[in-house]
Amino acid sequence: MSSRSDIFGAIQALEKREISHPGDFKSYSATKDPVGDFKNSLSIVGAMCIEVENKKNAETRLSEIYPDLQRYTSQDVVANGLDLEAVDVLEIDGMFGVAENGAIWLSDQFLPNRVAPFICQHLVIYVAKSEIVATLHEAYERLDGNYADFGLFLSGPSKTADIEQSLVIGAHGARSLCVVLT
Amino acid sequence: MLNHAEASEKFIADAERTTWHDETLWFVRSKRDKVSKLLPEWEALREQASLIKDHTLANLGQYLEEFEAKAQKNGIIVHWAKDAHEHNEIVHSIISKHGGKALVKSKSMLTEECHLNEFLTKKGVEVVDTDLGERIVQFRNEVPSHIVLPAIHLKKEDVGETFHEFLGTPKGNKDPQFLTEAARQHLRGYFLGANVAITGVNFAVAETGEFVVCTNEGNADMGAHLAKVHIACMGIEKMIPKRKDLGVFLRLLARSATGQLITTYSSHFAKPREGQEMHIVLVDNGRTRQLARDEFRNSLKCIRCAACFNTCPVYRRSGGHSYHQPVAGPIGSILAPNFDKSANVDLPFASTLCGSCSNVCPVKINIHEQLWFWRQDLMKDGLAPLGKSLSMKGMAFVFSSPTIFRMAGYIGRLVMRFAPFIVNNSFNPWFKQREMPDAPKESFQSWYKNRK
Repeated sequence: MSSRSDIFGAIQALEKREISHPGDFKSYSATKDPVGDFKNSLSIVGAMCIEVENKKNAETRLSEIYPDLQRYTSQDVVANGLDLEAVDVLEIDGMFGVAENGAIWLSDQFLPNRVAPFICQHLVIYVAKSEIVATLHEAYERLDGNYADFGLFLSGPSKTADIEQSLVIGAHGARSLCVVLT
Repeated sequence: MLNHAEASEKFIADAERTTWHDETLWFVRSKRDKVSKLLPEWEALREQASLIKDHTLANLGQYLEEFEAKAQKNGIIVHWAKDAHEHNEIVHSIISKHGGKALVKSKSMLTEECHLNEFLTKKGVEVVDTDLGERIVQFRNEVPSHIVLPAIHLKKEDVGETFHEFLGTPKGNKDPQFLTEAARQHLRGYFLGANVAITGVNFAVAETGEFVVCTNEGNADMGAHLAKVHIACMGIEKMIPKRKDLGVFLRLLARSATGQLITTYSSHFAKPREGQEMHIVLVDNGRTRQLARDEFRNSLKCIRCAACFNTCPVYRRSGGHSYHQPVAGPIGSILAPNFDKSANVDLPFASTLCGSCSNVCPVKINIHEQLWFWRQDLMKDGLAPLGKSLSMKGMAFVFSSPTIFRMAGYIGRLVMRFAPFIVNNSFNPWFKQREMPDAPKESFQSWYKNRK
C-alpha cells in the first residue's frame, strides 16, 4: 500500500488547477455515403469485401475465395483457444462497421472465444450495410452503456512493416480478412 | 557511453545508410500528412486531445482512483509501483507464483524504460518479445531505435542474417514476406506455450476501468488471450477520463504514427476471461515529479505515436541509438532529463529547435520549447560540458559591450580573410561537414554608416 499512498500523496501535494473537460467532440464531418466510404477504407487496410443480399447467398462467393479450406462458424468452434490453431477459415458476425477506417466492432458476445479472430488463418466477418457508422465518435456513441468484458475494433488483416518498411500481410493474426456486407 | 553527437558521428559514417534512414522516416511523415489532411477536423481533434489531457493531468489523482476502483470491480488485480525497480519486482513476483519460465511480451515502452527484460533474464525467466521489430532487435542484443518502428535502423540484409543465425532461415534470404512468415511460425509456439503474457497499455479509461492496447500484428492479443495470466504495465499518465474520449485518441494515434487510418487491432480489455488472472501495474517512476513542473508537465500528454521522431531532421540523420535512451527523438529528449539530468545532458541539445516536432504532435506538446527550457535548466545546474559553458560565457562577454563586439567582429573578419586555417580546422565543430562562409569586407554597421 505504501507506494500507492506515496503516488497519491505526491499528486495531492500539487497545487490544485481547475481545468474542465472540453466535452464530447462534436465538430466531425458527416459522410453522405457511409457504405461507400467503408468499402474504400477496407481496400486501404487490405481487406476483401463482397456484397450479398443475405448471409445464405455468400456461400458461393466464399467457396470461390477459399476453395480448398475448411470453413467454420462460431458455433462450430469449441471454447478452448488451443484447438483453434487448426481453424483455416473462421466466419463470425460483427456488430457494426466504421466508415472512416474500415474497423468492425467485435466483442465477447460475438466471438466463440477471445483469441478466435486472431489465431485463425483467415477471417470472414459479416456486417449489415445498415450497420455502418461514419466515424469513431459515432461508434463510441453506439457503444455507450454497452460495456463488453472484451471488445475490439478490427480493421483489416494482421500486418507488419517492421522489416525495412515493406508491408507484409499476415503477421501474427489472421492472414486475410473478407468482409461480407449483407 | 558516447554522447549524442559522438554516437551520431558513427551513425553518419555510412552515408548511404544515413540517407536511406532519413528518406524512409520522411516517407512515414509524408504518409501522416496525407491522411491527416483528409480530415477537415484534424486541427480541432488535436486541440480536443490536448484539452482532454490537460484536464486529465489536472485531475490525475481522482481519475486514478476511479480507474482503480472500476478495474478492481471488473476483477482485475491492481498494483502500484513508485519506480522501475518496484515495477520489475511486482512483475517477477506474479511470474514466480505461476511457475512460468518463459513469457511472451508485446511492445511496451514502459517495460523498456524499466529495463524489465534485463531484470527478468537475470532471474532466469526467458522473455520473448513478440512484436516482429522487437524480436529482431532482441535477437541482436540491441534495443529498439524507434518506439513505433523498433528495427528501423536495420536493412533487410541485416534481418536476413539475424534470422539465419537464430531461426535457421536460408543464408542470403532477405525477402521481408519470407522472413515475417518465419517469425510467425517461430512465435506461434511461444504464444501457445506461455503461461504469462505481458502487454503495454495505450489508454486506460477511468470511467470503465478498461484499458486499450493497439497493435497491427495481433501479437498483444495472441499473447493475452492464450496465457493464463495477463500483466498489463502502464505509466500513470496513460489515463483518460471517458470511453468517448477514445474516439478522439484512436483517430489521432495511427494517423500520426504511420499514416494508417487506425491500427489493425484496438483491443478493449475490461475483465479477465473465465479462469484467467489479469493484473495492471501502474507505475510512477518520475511522473509525479514531472507533473509538479509547470514547464515540463505537458510532456506527460504524450501518446507515443513517434510523429516527432519521423519529422525531426536530427533524429532522421542520427538514428535512435544515438539518444542512448529507450525513448529517443525529440520527446525522449525532454523525458530523459527527468530521469537523470547529468546522464542525459546532451539530449536537449540534440535539436535545431526548428519546432517541427511541436507542429506534428497530435496532443500539442510544446516539445521544442521544452528542449529550450531544459537547456536553461541544465546550464543553471552547471551540467553543461566545459566547452559549451565557456563559449556561452565568452559570447555573453562579447555581447555585453558594443566596443568589444565591434572589435571581435573586426578581428573575426581579418582572421577569416587572411588566416582561414585558424577556424577551418577540426577543433572547430562548426567546420565539420561544412564550409565556413566567406568573410565580408566590412560589418553591416560600417556599411550602413558609409552608404551614400
